Amino acid sequence: MTKSNPPIPVQQSAAATLPPDTASGACGEQATAELLRQRIASQFGRSLHIRTLDTGSCAACEQEIRLLAAPHYDLHRLGFFFTPAPRHADLLMVTGPMIRAFDVAARKTYDAMPGPKIVVATGACALGGVYQPDAFVHGSVGDILPVDVWLPGCPPSPLALLQGLLVAVDRLAGKVSSLSFTSDDQPGEVRQ
Amino acid sequence: MTLWFLRGLHRGVVTTRYPARPDGSAADLPTPPVFRPEALDSELADRLVAVCPSHALRRDADILVFDVGACTACGRCQETAGSAVSPSGEFALAATSRGHLVKRIPLRREART
Repeated sequence: MTKSNPPIPVQQSAAATLPPDTASGACGEQATAELLRQRIASQFGRSLHIRTLDTGSCAACEQEIRLLAAPHYDLHRLGFFFTPAPRHADLLMVTGPMIRAFDVAARKTYDAMPGPKIVVATGACALGGVYQPDAFVHGSVGDILPVDVWLPGCPPSPLALLQGLLVAVDRLAGKVSSLSFTSDDQPGEVRQ
Repeated sequence: MTLWFLRGLHRGVVTTRYPARPDGSAADLPTPPVFRPEALDSELADRLVAVCPSHALRRDADILVFDVGACTACGRCQETAGSAVSPSGEFALAATSRGHLVKRIPLRREART
């Protein structure tokens, strides 16, 4: 992405490839959205290329992401691949608290990706946990990019990353909404 | 490798599912805490909010708001509150909505005597 390169037109999104009769509102916006979602899921279901974007992370998340390609987790068996170029990427994995100095680079990376595209906010920093918004950081990836999947953890383990990727491509339903994070099994004493 | 290639050709499926067997190392991972609501009074909740380094906990009147997305599983709340907090064992927590990760835990009404 140097300045001497001519701008490459962004690939047409999946919405443009829909048949005209379904896109023009015969079955309503919701049905069109569902059709689009299914088509995106079927496109992403087999193979997906991932671009990672470090926006000021401590590199713990990167270390775990790197482990995904190791034989123990073997990301490629699930149809995921890492790519060094955002123009080849379907999914942007953003780590770090989104420092303000990275605004332009993050926007350029996102714009360079062809549609349809998925953004996964990875790690507690990216979800707005560790750093509060101030003069140097936005504090959350969601302030800058449209995030599709939120992936907690500090750092998220490779298994958690795999689950997040599968949630992103609609091959695994998220279960976190059913978890309450409360338990009332054995009553015990509270240490005062 | 050849076996997998032939299997893919035969079945028409080139990918496999999410880990078929549970991972042995999963039990050692630090996980976000689970709270016992009947052991949480407002005083203890305030101490938990004060001790959380990543702004994952906050008080909202009689409710302790726990942001699982912001939790770094550091274990400080568990040190502070003892048996009222325990590790959940849940680490695969990806969600498509940020709101799914924010849990509201009701506090016990009367103060502990």
